[in-house]
Amino acid sequence: MFLVAGVLLVFGANRGGGPKTQQERIDLLTSNLACPTCSGESVFESRAVAAEAIRSEVARQVAAGLRTDDEIMGYIEQRFGGQVLLVPRADGLDALVWALPVAVAVFSLFVLFSAFAKWRGNRPPSPSNDDELIVARALDERES
Amino acid sequence: MKSKNLVKFVSAAVGVVVAMFFLVLLVAEPDNDTVARSPLLGQPAPAISSRTIDGESFVLERRKGSWVVLNFFNSTCVPCINEHPLLVDFAEAESSKPDGAELYTIINDDSSESIRDFFARNGGDWSKVTDDNGAIAVAFGVARVPETWIIDPNGVVRLRITGELTEGLLGRQVEMLREDFTS
Repeated sequence: MFLVAGVLLVFGANRGGGPKTQQERIDLLTSNLACPTCSGESVFESRAVAAEAIRSEVARQVAAGLRTDDEIMGYIEQRFGGQVLLVPRADGLDALVWALPVAVAVFSLFVLFSAFAKWRGNRPPSPSNDDELIVARALDERES
Repeated sequence: MKSKNLVKFVSAAVGVVVAMFFLVLLVAEPDNDTVARSPLLGQPAPAISSRTIDGESFVLERRKGSWVVLNFFNSTCVPCINEHPLLVDFAEAESSKPDGAELYTIINDDSSESIRDFFARNGGDWSKVTDDNGAIAVAFGVARVPETWIIDPNGVVRLRITGELTEGLLGRQVEMLREDFTS
């Protein structure tokens, strides 16, 4: 099972990923941009005027071939602000979006493990032979 | 005991953060200013070129030397219609000044015919620039109309006004910018 998982992982990591054609590049870029006038829709999905204008601009820049995908995203972000990015950047203050949940999860696990360890430590000790003798005697007396 | 202290410390920290959050919400001014922020402010205006509905060429860079006002407009948008008389007044006032600002309408998702009809009915003899595929709107980061931008004679973006203009706002802003940025 581990072998299969390992092989799949290696295959997945080395597979030629990323968009192949210009249209795939446009679709990928616009899927990662939020429509500035709608709620919860990407530029790729939306039919709003602003989304269509952004889609056309992305298509124009991809066709011109002068900018990389990152530069095109940067251009749109510079015009419409960081809120247009559906996937926040992982640098500067924005990195907190990624780092904070991980930090909170690690801290919560630490607190949980500490609490479990403490509870395990507080468990009452096993009864000694004398304790068992006292209980047995008490039960005998009760029955007689 | 140590763990109890840690829990107390974390609870106190969370409490402080939540309290600060509410404090910020309480103190923060609502974001309803018409004069809006943009990363383009203080930067050279995007290089845009297009044509007017009359077929003349429009290259923003060639307008250097004059104050330029770009008004993003759609003839069916109510705030655009409402502010139109103010733009007519502004254009008239500026035309009588030696260094008067040039006003341009940037057509946003509208046909040349509708624009011609609108201006024939409501006045305004300044140039109306077509924006095929919204390239100019994207270059300025305009998502909704109306929006009005002021560009100084050096081609630097100086002001962005989002939403409907109010009486005298545009004239006042151009005058203030003229005083601040004309050497």
